[in-house]
Amino acid sequence: MGKQLAKMLVKRLGISLLTLLLLSALVFAGGQLLPGNVGRAILGPLADAASVAALNHQLGTDLPVPVMYWRWISHFVLGDFGTSYSFQLPVAPFIGHALLNSLKLAGVAFVIVVPLSIFGGVYAAMHARSWIDKVISISGLSMTVIPEFVSSIAFILIFGVWLGWLPVSATAPEGAGALTQIYHLILPSMPLVFILFGYIARMARAGTVEALDSDYTRTAVLKGLTWRVVIFRHVLRNALLPTITVVATQLGYLVGGLVVVESLFRYQGIGSLILTAARDKDFPMLEAGILTVGSIYVLATVGADVLYTVLNPRLRGGGR
Amino acid sequence: MEDALCQKGEPVMCQKGEPANGACLSETGLEVFRVNSKFQWLDRARREANDTQNHVIDEFLAGHIDRRGLLRHGSAFGLSAAVMGGLIGAPMREAHAGTPGATIRVASATPTGAINPVTVADLGGLVLLQQTGEFLIVDEPNLQLKPALATSWSANTDGTVWTFKIRKGVKFISGKTLTADDVVYSIARLADPKQGSNALSVFKGVLDPTGVKKVDDHTVEFHLDAPNGNFPYLVSSDNYNAIILPAGSDAADFQKTFDGTGPFKLDTFTPGQGVSFVPNPHYWGPKALPAKVQFTFFADQQSSVLALQGGQVDVIQQIALQGAQGLINNPQVNIINIKASTHRQVHMRTDVGVLKDKRVRQAIALTLDRPAIVKGLFHGLADIGNDSPFAPIFPSTNKSVPQRAKNIAKAKALLAAAGLSGGTELTLTTEQVQEIPDYAVLIQNAAAEIGVKINLKIETSAAYYGQATYGNSDWLDAEMGITDYGHRGVPNVFLSAPLLSTGTWNSAHFKDPAYDSLVASYVATTDLSKQREISGKIETLLLDETPIIFGYFYNYLAATAPNVTGVKVNAISQVFLAGASVG
Amino acid sequence: MSATTDSIVATLAGEPAGPPKNERLKAVLKSPIFLVGAIVVLFWIICAVFGPWIEPYSPYDDDLLNTLDPPSWQHWFGTDQIGRDIFSRVIAGSRSILLVAPLATLLGTVTGTTLGLITGYFGGIIDTLLSRVIEVLLALPLIIVALMALVALGPSDPTVIVVIGIIFAPLIARTVRSAVLAERQLDYVSAAQLRGESAITIMFVEILPNVLPPIMVETTVRLGYAIFTVASLSFLGFGIQPPSADWGLAISENYDLITGGYWWTVVFDAAATASLVIGVNLLADGIQSGFE
Repeated sequence: MGKQLAKMLVKRLGISLLTLLLLSALVFAGGQLLPGNVGRAILGPLADAASVAALNHQLGTDLPVPVMYWRWISHFVLGDFGTSYSFQLPVAPFIGHALLNSLKLAGVAFVIVVPLSIFGGVYAAMHARSWIDKVISISGLSMTVIPEFVSSIAFILIFGVWLGWLPVSATAPEGAGALTQIYHLILPSMPLVFILFGYIARMARAGTVEALDSDYTRTAVLKGLTWRVVIFRHVLRNALLPTITVVATQLGYLVGGLVVVESLFRYQGIGSLILTAARDKDFPMLEAGILTVGSIYVLATVGADVLYTVLNPRLRGGGR
Repeated sequence: MEDALCQKGEPVMCQKGEPANGACLSETGLEVFRVNSKFQWLDRARREANDTQNHVIDEFLAGHIDRRGLLRHGSAFGLSAAVMGGLIGAPMREAHAGTPGATIRVASATPTGAINPVTVADLGGLVLLQQTGEFLIVDEPNLQLKPALATSWSANTDGTVWTFKIRKGVKFISGKTLTADDVVYSIARLADPKQGSNALSVFKGVLDPTGVKKVDDHTVEFHLDAPNGNFPYLVSSDNYNAIILPAGSDAADFQKTFDGTGPFKLDTFTPGQGVSFVPNPHYWGPKALPAKVQFTFFADQQSSVLALQGGQVDVIQQIALQGAQGLINNPQVNIINIKASTHRQVHMRTDVGVLKDKRVRQAIALTLDRPAIVKGLFHGLADIGNDSPFAPIFPSTNKSVPQRAKNIAKAKALLAAAGLSGGTELTLTTEQVQEIPDYAVLIQNAAAEIGVKINLKIETSAAYYGQATYGNSDWLDAEMGITDYGHRGVPNVFLSAPLLSTGTWNSAHFKDPAYDSLVASYVATTDLSKQREISGKIETLLLDETPIIFGYFYNYLAATAPNVTGVKVNAISQVFLAGASVG
Repeated sequence: MSATTDSIVATLAGEPAGPPKNERLKAVLKSPIFLVGAIVVLFWIICAVFGPWIEPYSPYDDDLLNTLDPPSWQHWFGTDQIGRDIFSRVIAGSRSILLVAPLATLLGTVTGTTLGLITGYFGGIIDTLLSRVIEVLLALPLIIVALMALVALGPSDPTVIVVIGIIFAPLIARTVRSAVLAERQLDYVSAAQLRGESAITIMFVEILPNVLPPIMVETTVRLGYAIFTVASLSFLGFGIQPPSADWGLAISENYDLITGGYWWTVVFDAAATASLVIGVNLLADGIQSGFE
């Protein structure tokens, strides 16, 4: 088994690397199309043309595209994300900080939604076809499709403004402890909880239904094991498998796709960082940001596949 | 807010060393002043004053200028505060009054780029420059000029050479002593076209880098390209890039150390998030009261307002009324309201299409109901404009020129005379900034009343400004556009860059030799009533030609928590915190 | 958005045909989910088409003396920053989104179906290459890709339609590809090849009708996402221009006012968007269960 797994891992990583390389090239090429002029963007609209040209030459933005790309990628791989055109400071700390923020938000959302939806899905499956089941399924479905800014606004108004229970700004005051930070992140994580609940609950439900139907469960019950043991040992595991897959594939979205939520809650995550960099034609920041998000997605997908294979007893035997 | 020199109810102290004969003997100088002979004291003052300064005193005594005009004009020509205070009767203070040791937390706008004193052009950046950096002169909120790194200044008779005396005993935080070399280096760099500074909008056509001359270690002469009666404003805090930095220093390195001569020095700087300052122990002036000043960058108003209400910040640098209407009468918030010359220029290209005919431009300007706009968009916290850069707050504004008002009948007649009774179609391009999109919609609706169909194109500021050169910028090329203009202490920049034939910001492509020569004489004049005479002519010319609609000049708003005192804010959005305290 | 959901749909597509079409149609039309969805969507379509007759005020007329009035009998949804009636604007706002989103979905469907047919039928290198490219495109959250494209091309209705259409194409292509792969093994395809029919004829005349069910399901699901994405893009400032009454634009223009207590400038537009999106998704679900 180990050899098969290792082989699969290597193959998948190889493909992922290729994907990432292609992505970086695409992003770089795309960035060239953005309107505006780098030197101008840095010096502002009032600087004179000669200074702008001088700066452009200094930054090397007037070189041919392939040369610029090679310069960039060779530095990136070595950990040098370059210098932000807008801030005239190294890019890496910005990315690091924004990524940390996004991960914190994703983390809070996960911690809330995963147990909630697994519980909901399993419960629905155990009472299949009852009204509880219907309610959970339909509400899950409805919540999934509500645009983030709609649910965000509802939450902000109800819990932030009218009831005043939770703070509206996602950014805790500087130097705040972990608990305060989490407190500020509860409201922004709600739209994400909404969106993910439906997916995960549905997966959990399907997995549970299948597990409940299986021979293993029937045997276990006949053997006299209590429901509780059966659930925890067998059913939950089956419910978890597809959940992990969903969670992993959503990781890319959760980290980089939250531009709207970050905008609404004025949270400096990587989504807004990318948006601002695109608007300001800040190449190094833009490309570093997108590649980061893409890498996370690709790695998460690989990780999910590996985890799925490892955990799924049926798949361990043969290759995929 | 009134234009008093002291805060209401505050005990007034005497200028140290002031002879009992001329100023105050007690807490409230006023009474004493009335007792002493005004003229005796004045004679002495007059003997020390030069021609221009004497002229200002004459104007005041003759009633041609009011207290405010005296303060502004007098300070512009270097009349000492003591003299002016003597004329008016309200002496100055020395040290900061208030409790030391507070931590003041400020919500400021996110700087749009590096904190580079040469290039900064945004609210978020400029407020940081003036925490540790200082200017030759500070333009106070009441529009009076106060000496800072320059102790006095005066002009020659025709206003072409200005001599500034530089303060002694001033040290940079890095340890270097301030001399004329630093002043020459800093100002010349800003006036140098090759450096591409944001301050070129102020200095172009006024001062060439070679015109900045060191006379001795503490005297600098500015040889101007043309006579300029308002020059001191151009090297004051109004010109927010003009902080004095060590000779030879690299502007790009400023954000590493924030080296300057000011009351604060850098504590920590986290780019994109915030910066904190602590008092400069070697400051030449009164020691700063706060123990720490903390700036946190907020990308939007809503968050900063929430932070103020939640007690996470004490001061908000700037508030736009739109979105903050609820705050105005909120007892939990102290709103600072300053009349300003901040405005939006609605330009119309005078060289292409139907707008070539000035009757069409006048017609469009006549469709606007300005008082309603001020009420609807600003809840009255703005003044209506009369299609010229002369805002009501400028003393040189000629108020006898009739105010343009909404007149649909006249507008329709003008359109018909221009041959457009069947209507026409135009595109208005502008930027997504504060209330501008709403203003654009209002203009669209107003013009529709006379059959002019306006299509809107709203873009980000970056896209609107483009490359900021003719042919590469919507701002400069669009047939109609709306551009935001921040407050200035004098109208010089507004008169020149957007409207002169050689102007670099001339979106309307307005080229009128009569206008150019009027502006040249306005700028050169050092006499206030003469300035008013010329401004009257300029206002009338612009009303006739209407290349730009100046619909309103709106007030500057900032906010503090009610228990915070001593925060000084001006309409450029600079925040002076050396005298701030809490409780 | 999720690879897993797509694969589920693909799996469903591969199932053998169920009861005859007419009966399926009847079942779909009777299901309560479908009906609720249909009612909501129909309501907004009526608003979009007959808006000018329903709106009590013009959505564009300003009234500077009555700015930011709360809901009242004169203005059911209150007024906005320059005094425009919000109820009229909400009705008018349905127009832009019901124009842009379906067009974008149509573009995506046509492009994606073609791509899916090609990769599924020819297989081999073309398949591998295109699949890799698709995978690269999907490595990024859709909203980021849309944003970058719109920053490059400038915001306007046609741009939004093209951008969203192109972004959706790969997802639809994947579903179609799976379905085509399954169909390719079947006899009628080999028969057609033996008959000497051209590749294009085989793909579009023979195979396409048989893969229509999953395409239709996928399209309706995509329509929901399209509305979602168009509204989000308008909110971020990349869609439709003022003075359009578009819901996303209105929310982004007035969002700052919420904490000041002016909730009505935002809530009604948000509720309208939510109802439309949910309605379309209920429709999609109804159709999907009809094919199960």
